[in-house]
Parts: sequence; C-alpha cells; structure tokens
Amino acid sequence: MASREIVRYRSPLRTALQGLSILFLIFFFVWTVLPLLIMVVSSFKDLLDAFQLPEVGDFGGVGVMFDFKPTGAHYVELFTEKHFGVYLRNSLIASLGSAAVSVSLGSMAAYALSRAEFRGKRDLLFWIISTRMAPVVAVMVPLYVIFRSSGLVGTLPGLILAYTTFNLPFAIWILKGFFDNVPYAIEEAAQCDGCTRWQAFRLIIPLVAPGIGAFIVLCVLFGWNDFLFASIIGSGGAKTLPVATAELVQPVKIQWGMIMAAGVVTTVPMMFLGLLIRRYLVAGLTMGAVRE
Amino acid sequence: MFSMPKKALYKPISRRKFLELGGGVATALGAGSIAVGMNSVITRRPVYAYSSDEAKWRQYEGSKLVFMSENTPPSFAIRDNIQAFYDLTGIEVEILTDGLPTVQQKVGIDLRSGQADYHLNYVQDKPIGSPFADFYADLNEFTVDDTLPLDPQGYGDDVWFENYLDACGVYYERGPIRAFPYDCAVSCTFYRQDLFEQLTKDFEADYGYRLEFTDETTYKDMVDITEFFGKMHERDSSIPYGYAQHHGSFGWTTQLDIQRHMYAQNQWLDFAVDDTLGSKNPGPTNWGDAQSVKAMEGYKALADVSHPDNLTNGTLELNTVYAAGGVAMQIQYHEFAASVEDAEQSVAAGGKTAYAMGPKGAVEWNTDGGDNVVNATNCGIGGIGINAGASMDLQRAAFIFASWACSHETQLMVLQGVGGTPTRKSVLEVPEVKEARNRPTTMPNALTFEAVYDKGIRSPNMVLGPKLPKSNEYHEIVRVGTQQCIAGELSAQEACDSIKDELNAIHDI
Amino acid sequence: MAANIADIGVASEAVRGVRTIDHHPESFNHRPPRYYLLWLMLPAILLLAAISLYPLVWLIYMTLHEVQLAPGKSDVWAGIDNFSRLASDKKFARGWLTLFKYSALCLSVEIGLGVLVAVILNNNRFEKILVTIFLMPMMMAPVIAGFLYMFLYNGTFGWYFWLLQSIGLLESGSILGNKFWAMFAIVATDVWQWTPLIALITLAGLKRVPQEQLEAHMVDGAGPFRNFFSVALPNLYPFLLIAILLRFMDNFRFIDHILIMTGGGPANATKILPTYLFDVSFKFFELGRGAAIAFTLLLLTILLGLALTIVFEDPTRKLRTERED
Repeated sequence: MASREIVRYRSPLRTALQGLSILFLIFFFVWTVLPLLIMVVSSFKDLLDAFQLPEVGDFGGVGVMFDFKPTGAHYVELFTEKHFGVYLRNSLIASLGSAAVSVSLGSMAAYALSRAEFRGKRDLLFWIISTRMAPVVAVMVPLYVIFRSSGLVGTLPGLILAYTTFNLPFAIWILKGFFDNVPYAIEEAAQCDGCTRWQAFRLIIPLVAPGIGAFIVLCVLFGWNDFLFASIIGSGGAKTLPVATAELVQPVKIQWGMIMAAGVVTTVPMMFLGLLIRRYLVAGLTMGAVRE
Repeated sequence: MFSMPKKALYKPISRRKFLELGGGVATALGAGSIAVGMNSVITRRPVYAYSSDEAKWRQYEGSKLVFMSENTPPSFAIRDNIQAFYDLTGIEVEILTDGLPTVQQKVGIDLRSGQADYHLNYVQDKPIGSPFADFYADLNEFTVDDTLPLDPQGYGDDVWFENYLDACGVYYERGPIRAFPYDCAVSCTFYRQDLFEQLTKDFEADYGYRLEFTDETTYKDMVDITEFFGKMHERDSSIPYGYAQHHGSFGWTTQLDIQRHMYAQNQWLDFAVDDTLGSKNPGPTNWGDAQSVKAMEGYKALADVSHPDNLTNGTLELNTVYAAGGVAMQIQYHEFAASVEDAEQSVAAGGKTAYAMGPKGAVEWNTDGGDNVVNATNCGIGGIGINAGASMDLQRAAFIFASWACSHETQLMVLQGVGGTPTRKSVLEVPEVKEARNRPTTMPNALTFEAVYDKGIRSPNMVLGPKLPKSNEYHEIVRVGTQQCIAGELSAQEACDSIKDELNAIHDI
Repeated sequence: MAANIADIGVASEAVRGVRTIDHHPESFNHRPPRYYLLWLMLPAILLLAAISLYPLVWLIYMTLHEVQLAPGKSDVWAGIDNFSRLASDKKFARGWLTLFKYSALCLSVEIGLGVLVAVILNNNRFEKILVTIFLMPMMMAPVIAGFLYMFLYNGTFGWYFWLLQSIGLLESGSILGNKFWAMFAIVATDVWQWTPLIALITLAGLKRVPQEQLEAHMVDGAGPFRNFFSVALPNLYPFLLIAILLRFMDNFRFIDHILIMTGGGPANATKILPTYLFDVSFKFFELGRGAAIAFTLLLLTILLGLALTIVFEDPTRKLRTERED
C-alpha cells in the first residue's frame, strides 16, 4: 500500500482532531452499549430494585444500577410459567422454515433470472423488489383474508408463508447478484461432460454456497425479529418470541423484569448470528447494492 | 341451588380416556363430531341433552371452543380455573389473551371475514361491542332454551348491578342482548393515606383546610392538593407528585378520564342520546358549548400540576408509577387494587393506600350557576359475547361457557383468586366477601367495594358514555383534542371546537 | 490484487480461477432454453404473485368501496370518495408531514453520526472489534428496542430520563409525554438501531475511495478536512443515496417501536402516516379509508423503489468498471 509512505506531519489541528475522534468513539461506544447493558442488568433485578434511581444530578449514585441481589427468577418464570420454550421453538421453526423455503425457491428463480434475457425482465425484477418494500400495514387485511381462507392463520406453516412474503423477494434479488457473478462457462463445461441442465445448476450451487449460507442466516434474522405478521397471522397457535414479549405487558402491571429477560433471550442469539455473517451483513441489509 | 352436578367436579378423567369414552358414547347416540373453523371441534349429542341436568351440561362433551379475551385479571383467573369447566362439561375452551388494541384488531378481522375463529369474544362495551354489536348472537334465544343448563339466578336485569346488562349487552335497540356482563372495572381514586396524614400540617398552613380526601373533595380541591404535592416534590424528591390520570396512547382511557371530569359538572354529556342504548346517529355533539369549555379549562389546570408523565401513561403504566411510589393519588380502575396491595411489587401496599370515589365536580366550574355536581364515575365493562357467524351448535356450546363464566360461583372463584370485579349482585352478599372489605383482607379488590359498588356506580354518579358504531374513532378524537389542550397546543376553546368539528364530521353533520 | 478488495461479488471469489472470463452471461451464445428457465422461475413467481398481487387487487377494490361493517351487507361503490375525503382529512396531511419530519430527523442524524463513525474507524487499529460491537443494536427486534427505550425513558425509573435531567438538558418532567421530546425519543431509538448500518455502508464506500487520488491530494498539501470533502465525499454519494433510500423506506415499514412507545401520541406528535393508517384500518375499521391511505403509501414505496433500482444499477456498475480498469 503506497499510502503508508506518505509522511504525516503532526500539526496541532491533527492532534486535536485525533483527541476529538477518540472522545467521539468513546461516546458512541457508550451510547451503543449502555442500553444493552441496562437491559441485561435489569433482567436480573426484581421489580423494586429495577425502580431504583439515584437523585437527579447525583452522578456519584450511579452505583445504584449495580446494587442489587441478582435473581434468575425472571428467566425461570419465562421458561416455566410463560412457556417461552415453546415460543422459542416457534420462532426457530418459523424463521428457519421461511429461510429454507425462500432460499430454495429463491435460488432457482434467481438462477433463471440471471441466465434468461427477455423483454420485461426489468419490470419483473422491479415488481419482485417492490413486494419486499410494501408497507406491511397496507396489505395486512387482504393478506389475513387469504391466509384465513386457506386455514393458515395461527399455524406455523402460515407464519412461514407470511415471512416468505418478505424473505423470498429478498432472496431472489440478492441471489441473482450471486449467479450473475458465476460464469456460464462452468455450466457449459459441465454439460459437455454429460451433465443435465439440472445437474449443472446443482454443480454451481457450491460456488455460491457461502453467500447462500449467509443469506439463510439473514432470512432467519428478518423472520425472527418480525412483529406485525407474527402478531396477526401467527396469533394463537404460532406465537413467537417478539409477540410473547409484547404480551408480558399484563393485566395490572408491566412485567419489566421479565420483558428485559425476554429481550435478552430474543436478542442474544441474533447477535451471535450477526457476528457469524459479519462479512455479508452490509450486502444483505442493502439488498446487495453495497458489498464490503 | 345452582344446577351444577356435584360429582362432575370430582370426576377427574384423563383426556385420552375421555375421548375414548366420549367418542363411544357419541357414536352410540347418533351424534357426530365435526371440525369447524380454526382449532375448533363440535361434538353434539342432542338426544342425550334431555336426559338429565348433568346431561345438559355435558351435551357438547368433546367440543372445543376458542375464547378471545383481553389481558385482564378475570380472564387470567378464568384461564387458571378452566379445568373446572372442562370437568363439568367436557368442553375444551382455549383462551387467547392479548392487549385490548390487539384483541380489537383480531376480533374485528375475524368478525368481518365472516368466519368464526373466535366463537367467544370478550366484548368490551365501547371498543368492541359498539362497532361490532350486529355480529353477536342474541343471547335471549338461549336463555329460554330449557335444553341448555340455565343459571338458577337467571339473566334478568335485576341480577346484575344497575345498568350493567344495558351497558354491555344492549346496543342501539331494546330487545337483543349481545353479551353478559363478565367483568366491570370501575374508576375510583387510589390515594396514599400515609402521606396525607404525614403532610396535612404543611398543607393546612398553605391552603387553610385539612389535607384529606373525602366524597366532598372537588376537582378544584384536587388542583390545590396536586399543586401542593408538586411543590413538596420540588423541595424533597422523596415525596411523590400529586396526581395522575391516563392520557397515554390508548384513546379510550383518556376519553373516560375527561368524560368523568365533564360529567362531574352539571352532568354534561357528549351527545343527547340515551347512554344505555347508544345511537347509530347521535346527532350533533355538545362539545364546544360553554360548559365543556369551562370544564376543559379546569381539566387543563389540573393536568398542569399533575405528574409530568401524564400524557404517556395508560392504566398499566400509571399503576406501575403509583406502585413505585411516584405519585400520591391516581384515578384507577378498581381491579388494580390487587396489585397495589401486593407488597412484593408495590411500595403502596399494607394499609398505605385508601380508596374513594372520583372527585366531585366543582360548583365554580358550572356555567349555569347551579350546584349540580356529582362524583362522576365510569367503567369499562367487559361482556362475553357469542359470534353469530358460528354454527348453532357452536353457539349453544359457547353459551354454556358464557353462562358458566358469568355465574355467581365463577365470579366468586375469580374474586378469591387473582381478583375479580363481580357483576352479579349476589357475590357481594357472600359473608366472606363482606368480611374482606376490611383489612387485613384476602381479597384486596374488596377494599374498593364501598367506593365502587355502594357509591360510585349509583345514580347520579355513574356516567356510561355514548355507544357509537364509531366509538373507537370518537375516543381517538377526544383523546387527541384533550392532549392538545393539556400540551398547550390549543386553548380550551380551540380544543373543544376541534373535537366538535371532528366528531360532527365523522357523523356526517 | 486491487480488484479483489473491491470485489463486487462474493461468489466470484470462490471461482477466482476463472475470473478472466467476464461474468455477464449475456455475452454467451449458448443459453439454456427459455422453457427450462421459466420452470425454474415459476414456483417463486407464482408464490409471490399469490401473496402480493391478490392483496393488491383487494386493496384497490377497497379503496373504491365503502366497506361495510355490519354482517350481511354488501359493500357500496364509492368511486373516489375515499380519496377525496382524504383531501380534507387534517390528520392525513399531518401524518405525511410528521412522517417526513421523522424521516428527515432520523436520516440526518444517522448519516451525520454514521459517516463520522466510519471516517474515524476507517483503517483504525480497533476497526474490526469496534464495528462488531457497534452493529449489535441492528440485530435487535424493533419491538424489543421499543420496550427497552420505553424503559429507559420512563419518568419514574428510566435511566435515560435520569441522565437527561441530571445534565440539565431535560426541563420537562417527561420524555414520552412531551410533544417535543417524544419525537426525539422515537428518533433516538431508530438512530441507536440503524446508525451502525449507515456506518457500515460508508465504510464499504470509503474502502473504495481510490488511494491514488487521496495521495495526490495530500501531496498537494490538503488537510484532512479538504481531503474528506473533495475526494472522499464525492465517492461516497452513491452509497449514501442507497442508504437514504433504504432507511427512508424502512422508516415507514417498521413502526413497531412507535406503536409500543407512544402509539402516535402525545397529541399526535409522533403519529406518522403508517401509524395513522394502523388506527384507521385496525382500530376504527374504516377499511375503505384505510385502503386509500395505504394506497398513497404504496405509491410512495413504488417511487422509492424505482429510484432505488436506478441507483442500484448505476453506481455499482460504475464501481465495477472503475475497479477492473
């Protein structure tokens, strides 16, 4: 890298800038981490401890945040009385299921779209991406009617299909970008060797596999974090973690401790997944427009 | 006596065993079992139903119903006790609970789609009953059917507290009853008696009268008391703010709050309609008249000194603030007493809290110079209604549940458990319940019974509020107008006019 | 290897051996027959059609009717009534305004902070670890974020409430109950969750700023500011544009945290159009009116989508060619 050879002069401006940027980084770090920290800490507090705050302006009193007897009671209660085990399972099945459906159907379609040239392809692609972007509230009522008449409301297959409404266009769009990058020559060569077209298609799948793996994870993430579909289409038989968490706002009290615990349970697995696919995150969240 | 076959309660039977037995019996009697709707099954044995009282209860043995209910203590109590119903009838009832806004959505979509996924609905009188009344079966058809297990007390107007049946069961026309009263949360004042006693000297020095909360305390006094607490809070933040209401994101609770305040002065009402009946065409609203503006000014004065979070809190949130010691007085629904009295989650438990009716109107705020002021009280009444889109057999099976859930025995059971809000008069006559009105008590909700049942819901204090097909939008309009006034965006006159314009607009006036 | 750093496709890395061949398949003569590709496409397309076209038809039907609530009554043809009524609906207009205000606030803060973070982090020793930490909030479900911030803002036991009061910034006794602060509160939640995305996008963009240009500039004696504004920023525009479009779209797609925290209050201060739509359709059950509002939202979505597809095609292609020169 040539840039290393450039001599950088220490100027007061540069030093000041450096100091400021470090300050800013510290601020941004605290801003990012503090809410998460409070969530985790509060999930181990009982209700009255969680209500403790220092006097206004008393910065010395911040220690109150950590002055409590930790209790795992909220977690225990979540999984024993509130059946979070079941909801965790529902969340897993629904998001994994939808990811599987989206990526398998999506990769076929993406491959075809990548290889085919026809009039109106652009329009088709635009339609695909716009289904992903439509505001959920706008289409909820008719969607409910469709789902209801097929007996899918309140079932896991229904929820899988609901998540597919946003995961499938996403998968097609992203995977098309992947196949665009695989030279057709490979398939041609394979077909010369006597493969059928389908076999040739399967042959190039491993080439895009790391990407596909990452986008399966992203589909899982989108499904897992969804709330509106889950609360309306999945209601009843297919309750997921976000919906179950919202239901902790209960008759006569808001179960803050348990909500925080549920937040931890819902968020931590996704954070790990996020780390896992760190490299593909930007591509995924920008619909493939930006790659790192 | 209630015609509950005793032995049924003591006949635990495993579900599988039951299905084998029930299935066999059903076939023998020429009945069939069909799956209908989502998660529901109906098993009917019409011939069997005539054979005995027990048979009336068990005629739909093996059926499965879905009850869509709100996250309220009675629903939870019923869910905890649903085994008793199953043991009695063999009908399985799945109880789904959600926050009211979600219940509204789901019930609304379900009813509209014409397919009865939820055979039984928790019919809150205004948010659900008013817009969807026509979708619910007329329960009168069932109450005269002697092949159904009927309640020995009956279902007449007189077995419930005054106005309860009208409020939750009658919509726009006399005759059909759309729902039975199942719970009724009535507003009353929760206040910190310990703080009142502790601070009365300071208060008297400033304001010249004793710091106490009685039936004669007016909204104007409330401004004094609240202001006083606010001042004390400035000086010593361990003393809480004075007062708070629920002006949060849910329209109905805000509307109920302002409605009480409006009614307290001159018994002012939004519309010239009979509230027990409601109206599909309520005509022009009274908002914007001199009385409403005057009262709104008073309301703003009170809100100005109240807890600053006043505009975000709903019932739950406010109660959490009260339980955390953040406010000295709250207007709250009496079902919340159980949580306030729970020492594990409330600093206001153990005799610190006293209960009274809502404040009286202030004569000074009457515009006609008269002295017509009342301790306005209102309620959210929840009925159980049956989806008319369900098949007749499902409806009949659902009726058995509705009747059971609203019976004397069940209400007593709920009261002893999580804390219910009885709707049948007879429940209050039970010696155990009478005793529970005094501390120490096993039924904390009973501490509110004097304020609620002996005084609050009696005429002239009770205001039912208008039943309109567009209730929810009406609530929202009133909420936003009130909030705009409290937030200082509009003057009282402007806010009332804005409410008036919008209400008239939705009713095409 | 320079081409590799800025590689457009992840997949092509896997097939590096054959990179000499251009990856535009249209440059080949033998393409698979159409019917075969059609069959591959069909399942996905049909499924998508079922779950998107049918609702659209429904939606249009509802916009043109007065949808009846009472059982057994059929819907009444309303022509454009539902739309013309919107014209006089103050809350509809206000909903749009609030939506734009909300989005403008979110986007400007997110872009400002995000670019700053990216510029500071770029080639920083701790870049990897810090970026990893910073992207944690993005993984959180918006509902959970809503609850978490509601907890932090609470006037009785909220830590952010305490902090803001303690530093003397918050004079009002309430965050979510105050018209002015409530808007900032929901914006802050969005900023907390999504600034990292902007930072990531910007970082990706910064990596592609041609080093030679920077160096040439520096040799000319340009300071860090001029360097940023005259070299780096122009290169970042396409990336920022994509970020803005995507975030703007998400601003009205995801309203979970607003529904949880304020429900649009106080006094409609945070009632952005989608939350108003939510009220009209699901609280008031005015399905016709709701559909009309939804339709206007869809139109905006389509416009944004069009813009996005155009942006998508251009800058990336430009970058692609630049790289391979």
